[in-house]
Amino acid sequence: MKISVYRFNPDTDTKPRMQDYEVKTFQGMMLRDALLEVKKQDESFSFRHSCGEGVCGSDAVNANGRNVLSCVTPITELKSPILVRPLPGRPVIRDLVVDMTQFYEQYRAVKPYLVRKDPLPEQEILQSPADRDKLDGLYECILCGCCSTACPSFWWNPDKFHGPAALLQSWRFLADTRDQATEERLDALEGPYKLFRCHSIMNCVEVCPKGLNPTRAIGHIKELMLDKGL
Amino acid sequence: MSRQASGLMAWLMQRATAVYLAFATSYLVVHFFFNAPASHADLVAWVTRPAVAVGLILCVPVLLAHAWVGVRDVLIDYVHVLGLRVGLMLVFGFVFLASGLWSLKAIITAGLGG
Ligand code: SF4
Ligand code: SF4
Ligand code: FES
Repeated sequence: MKISVYRFNPDTDTKPRMQDYEVKTFQGMMLRDALLEVKKQDESFSFRHSCGEGVCGSDAVNANGRNVLSCVTPITELKSPILVRPLPGRPVIRDLVVDMTQFYEQYRAVKPYLVRKDPLPEQEILQSPADRDKLDGLYECILCGCCSTACPSFWWNPDKFHGPAALLQSWRFLADTRDQATEERLDALEGPYKLFRCHSIMNCVEVCPKGLNPTRAIGHIKELMLDKGL
Repeated sequence: MSRQASGLMAWLMQRATAVYLAFATSYLVVHFFFNAPASHADLVAWVTRPAVAVGLILCVPVLLAHAWVGVRDVLIDYVHVLGLRVGLMLVFGFVFLASGLWSLKAIITAGLGG
């Protein structure tokens, strides 16, 4: 099978190029296995990966124009030759390794932790099963970045628009009955940029390897703002 | 308080005006498709019915508000040079305002002329 990967080393190359490799396939082969095979043939090739089972979120790449998590993407699902590029819109550090700093900054900006004003109880803060269910479809995010780097609004304003991944987490804590910072969280999202650059293009929903729906979460935030703001 | 300003309000305005425009255009399309006025006199009679007149006149500011939020969104997305963006916003703002005033004048003169 032919696989064509993006190569770029900012220290030595003036511009990026695509390099072809011939890789032997096997039953159940994932895109990550193919990249490992390339790495075996050519040590100078770099990409990120770790767990190999869709948990760590480190190996998101763009395959045939679509952002995927390479370890859970069977090569049989990809049209050959497979073109593998780094996540779009991010500065390339080397080959498929990109700089995700802005993505993490946006995540940090939504305060992705419980904020409690009441004194903390001795034991855990209990939640009814119904309240706990509200967090399903939100907490599963592995911060792979497939969504935000597929979002045109994030491409144009990565420094100001929080992007789908961070906004999904923002809603995850707004929806949590144990959290007590609703007003502050909403205030922090006001203005034309952080939340309202989302135009419901839904690229994020399309690519999320965990099947999550940031667009819906963003809609919930807007509804809650309306609810509290008017 | 700051929550009222440029984010939520703009979004809400875009939604609300979109709903109005959707109803207005569907009504216009349906009306002109199934019940198109046969003559100029018929058209005038239809337009001067109070409900129709108010509905049509309202379309002007609603359409302009909708267009303004849309244009502003496009400029925020794509024009990152601040001076250029402000300049374009002024140009569009001026054009929209002028069109609004011009339509208003047209409506008033038409109303006075019968
Ligand atoms: S929402 Fe989905 S695509 Fe986005 S970072 Fe989380 S797991 Fe990845
Ligand atoms: S729905 Fe919003 S966050 Fe998702 S890709 Fe579109 S603009 Fe980005
Ligand atoms: S290697 Fe961990 S998610 Fe793919």
